[in-house]
Amino acid sequence: MELQAVLMAAGGGSRMMELTYNTHKPLLPVGNKPLIWYPLNLLERVGFEEVIIITTKDVQKMLTPDRLKLDGKMKLDVVCIQLEGEMGTADALRHVQQKIKTDVLVLSCDLITDVALHEVVDLFRAHNASMAMLMSKLHEFTETVPGQKGKKKAGEQRDFVGVDATGQRLLFMANEADLEDGLTIRKSIMCKHPSMRIRTGLLDAHLYCLKRCVVDFLVENKNISSIRGELIPYLVRKQFSKSVNLPNNKDEVEMSQKMEGQTNLEILGSCKDEELLRLTQERSCWNDHHGDMSEAYHGGKVRCYVHIMEDGVCYRVNTLAAYIEANRMAPKLIEDPPIHPSAVISECTQVGADSIIGASCQISDKTSIKRSTVGASSTVREKVKITNSILMNGVTVEEGCNIQGSVICSNAVIGRNADIKYCLVGSSQRIEPDARHLDSNLSINDSALGSLKMSRDWPA
Amino acid sequence: MNMAAKTAKQGRPGARRAAVDQDEEEQPLQAVLVADSFNRRFFPVTKDQPRALLPLANVAMIDYTLEFLTSTGVQETFVFCCWMSDKIKDHLAKSKWCRSNSSNTVHFITSDTYRSLGDVLRDVDAKALLRSDFILVYGDVVSSIDVTQALQEHRLRRKLEKNISDNIVVAVDSKSKRILHYQKTQGLKKLQFPMNIFHSTSDEFEIRHDLLDCHISICSPQVAELFTDNFDYQTRNDFVRGILVNEEILGNQIHLHVAKDGYGARVSNLFMYDAVSSDMIRRWIYPITPESNFVDEEGKSCTHSRHNVYRGTGVSLGHGSQMEENVLIGQDTSIGAKGHISNSVIGANCIIGDNVILDRAYIWNNVHIADNVAIRQSVVCDGVEVKTGVILKEQCVLAFNAVVGPDVTLPEGTVVSLHHPDEEEEEQDEFLSDHAEAGHNKATKKDKANNSKELGTEGQGYIWKSSSLDHTKEDELAQSLWGLVLNPDPESDSESEASEGSDQPGSRTISPELDDIKVFQTEVQGTLQRGLEENIGCDNLVLEINSLKYAYNITLKEVMQILTRVVLEYPFFQEGADLSTSQYNTLLLPLLKGWAPVFKNYVKRAQDHLNCLASIEEFFLEHEAHWGALVLMSAYNLDILEEDGIMRWFSQEGTTDKSKLLRKNQGLLKFIQWLEEAEEYSEGD
Repeated sequence: MELQAVLMAAGGGSRMMELTYNTHKPLLPVGNKPLIWYPLNLLERVGFEEVIIITTKDVQKMLTPDRLKLDGKMKLDVVCIQLEGEMGTADALRHVQQKIKTDVLVLSCDLITDVALHEVVDLFRAHNASMAMLMSKLHEFTETVPGQKGKKKAGEQRDFVGVDATGQRLLFMANEADLEDGLTIRKSIMCKHPSMRIRTGLLDAHLYCLKRCVVDFLVENKNISSIRGELIPYLVRKQFSKSVNLPNNKDEVEMSQKMEGQTNLEILGSCKDEELLRLTQERSCWNDHHGDMSEAYHGGKVRCYVHIMEDGVCYRVNTLAAYIEANRMAPKLIEDPPIHPSAVISECTQVGADSIIGASCQISDKTSIKRSTVGASSTVREKVKITNSILMNGVTVEEGCNIQGSVICSNAVIGRNADIKYCLVGSSQRIEPDARHLDSNLSINDSALGSLKMSRDWPA
Repeated sequence: MNMAAKTAKQGRPGARRAAVDQDEEEQPLQAVLVADSFNRRFFPVTKDQPRALLPLANVAMIDYTLEFLTSTGVQETFVFCCWMSDKIKDHLAKSKWCRSNSSNTVHFITSDTYRSLGDVLRDVDAKALLRSDFILVYGDVVSSIDVTQALQEHRLRRKLEKNISDNIVVAVDSKSKRILHYQKTQGLKKLQFPMNIFHSTSDEFEIRHDLLDCHISICSPQVAELFTDNFDYQTRNDFVRGILVNEEILGNQIHLHVAKDGYGARVSNLFMYDAVSSDMIRRWIYPITPESNFVDEEGKSCTHSRHNVYRGTGVSLGHGSQMEENVLIGQDTSIGAKGHISNSVIGANCIIGDNVILDRAYIWNNVHIADNVAIRQSVVCDGVEVKTGVILKEQCVLAFNAVVGPDVTLPEGTVVSLHHPDEEEEEQDEFLSDHAEAGHNKATKKDKANNSKELGTEGQGYIWKSSSLDHTKEDELAQSLWGLVLNPDPESDSESEASEGSDQPGSRTISPELDDIKVFQTEVQGTLQRGLEENIGCDNLVLEINSLKYAYNITLKEVMQILTRVVLEYPFFQEGADLSTSQYNTLLLPLLKGWAPVFKNYVKRAQDHLNCLASIEEFFLEHEAHWGALVLMSAYNLDILEEDGIMRWFSQEGTTDKSKLLRKNQGLLKFIQWLEEAEEYSEGD
């Protein structure tokens, strides 16, 4: 086994509490499949047979194979952690270190992508990299986000990512917030990589291939708690720091290990199983650069690479906007028939090809469903119009409703002739008949979501 | 270096104003050729011949530039000359460029008042010579790049572009090829980019550290106006910086065109001369090659044979002489037997003797080289005579008509000229342009020793030595004729691309703070000396020292330490270092007495006393032989030091053996004992 997959599914989805306060993020339905299905499917497609899933107790109960709708070949090794809030991704990885025997592929449960995963892994293999990661062009979300009209999202801080001329070697990484004094690049980096592209507008897919020795390093350094926030920037920086002179005596070794553990990485970088590879590199006439006479990679032991997807689908479902966008894209990623065989659909009903109807649904006459997703066991009565919307499981829509651009959470009931536009309806909510709502957040516990806007009636 | 030169690129500066669109396509393409470098990197060679006329592969550099312009389709060229404009005029008048059938009309504009590129362009604006976009080049650019594409882009854009040099880091907006930021990197360990350049709409930026500026600029007519508007723009660097800084306000932009192939370089120093010459012979600048004879001049034709050996007409080669590879020999040159020549250029009408070794030598015209001479990586100008047995090490320059030898070896980096290095100082005002900037830039001084020792018994000329490289102008680093020795960047492991430019300040001065203290010390010494000679009162001395203290930002404690040290050293300073103790004391005591008020001014608090004593101790640790209680005693008697201070100092055990030994001095013990007794006595009183 070359790579072990570790799926991080313990996140709470704090950036879209509207959806996750009663559904766990990994189980949010996207295109009638739980969110976690997408990364699992991605792994399955490229032939992973085993996945370590790190998640919480609650999610574990729900993770049954039939729920995941996987073909059943994958062996899921679910590991529970507690206190999700205080545990970072690096902590989680440390938690499962006993199970990790090889290099690891770490990914997040909210990743929906059609990337050819081998591109990332090939980079990792070809350069014997310490770390290879996936990035994608940032997508602009075009759909209107329910309940957020007028709320201009505060411009997120841009990430600055520096890559070399080939666009693969990751040379530099910083967030705009840390760059108040301007962007600083050491000259030695410029000398080694004279042409550097600084890119912004990239989305970090949170998919990382990490060398086994990096995991060991993490185990040694307990103060690193987040992979994205701490480990990756550290590795990127480490690429160009001077190789630490090997300490002279044992005390110093221990000292420096205690102090920072920096030498750990250095020592592990040249650990014994690298011997053959090192020899290969020495004897080979191949070089990763030209223009000077120094050895390949300028003798650097730590190497970070990035694969940047210029096109294709890549979303991280961590906001409501991304959730809606992902649902819109889902039909293109799922091979199953869009209408589940067990759904009962009357003949005089229009269901667009870009819509998904879940299992055991009942769709009555004279209803039109366009660009929407209807979850399992939902009931849609007569003369209902649903456009650009997401209905989760067990939703009931009474006659004559008009639902547009909205998200209806599980088990909600929409009263007859209701007119709902660009709204978010919380789970198990009942919408009164003839109600008119525009651009509102109709959740059960508004107080808990104080930041969200109160519902506002549609002027008659 | 080859690599660097090959990744040639060029760009264009200009300024965009509101979209002006006239039928400019029909206007003839114009060019401004600045036949003066406004610096003296090639000094003293350029004392006799302007840089544009220096031969590169036996052809004057300005011919390459004109050839480049003509092949680009330039129909009208304005040549701006300053230094030795007559020579340039004569040269061009004889060349094909001034014939009536030339497609490129050449106009001369000369003025002795040009002191920078800025002056030239301001004059261009004043004379309203230009009607549309123009190409701006220096007279020492060698290029085979086809700029027509860049020209097209430029016209389309009606914006501006600008080039960047190697040694310069640029942030480029990769989509619109707009230059956002550029800087030279010499001596910088970290590169800073202000955030505002990243605020543009683009999400991709490129930072390049591998470009060579070939100093070909395509400018809009507004460029000249901008120079007029901003009278402080002297060089192109000023201009680029100004445009970039004010980009948002004025809306002028600079763009860049990176030439993927072709060749372009500016011969800006001898390293570049060396590099471009060897590239020329190795045919990297094709189609410009030595045998292509584009200058169309009588007798310049030569033949090309294997291993890039070029021979002019009438060349005679002695028996057994080898021309290994990459050799160009001008017409009517004769070479003696058993010579060994590689990677060299030899001009016309030279006479070279037997057993001569030439490697990377650039021999110009009418040079006589006698037997058994070895020359490596050196430039030998017109009319030089090298006598038998002379060896020139790397990077020597023999300027016009110098004579060297016989049987001497010139060490690395020797520069010989018939002109006296001191001449320039007096004549400086007369040398405008090429000479104007330097003067202080490169302090050259005459070697006072007998030249015949170094240049041989028949030698003629002076050896030029460039002294400290202290004054560095912002852009033009002071550098020797060959540029500086290539010290690899201490921080980075290796970088080949830094080669030709690397004008890293060779000698780093020590930290400025230390420097200040040293300067302060000499100043104090000078002040005291003057005080002694001119009998200045102590009050005034204190005043002067105080003002010095502020000038060099010295703390009070340091003032006292330095003052003590200066006074104690003073006898040595007066009479030399070998004084006996008694002589020292007799000299020192009156001094102490005279300057006691000065001391008292600075030694007031108890801590000052201790500091003063510590300084005294420190001084005598270095001059143990002169140690005696006498100094302390007189200081005590003069009320400079107080009893308590001395006692406390004495009771502080010395930290080192030496200082312990110092405290055990017989005289000192007596003195201390006396002090103690006096104390008891006064107490008993």
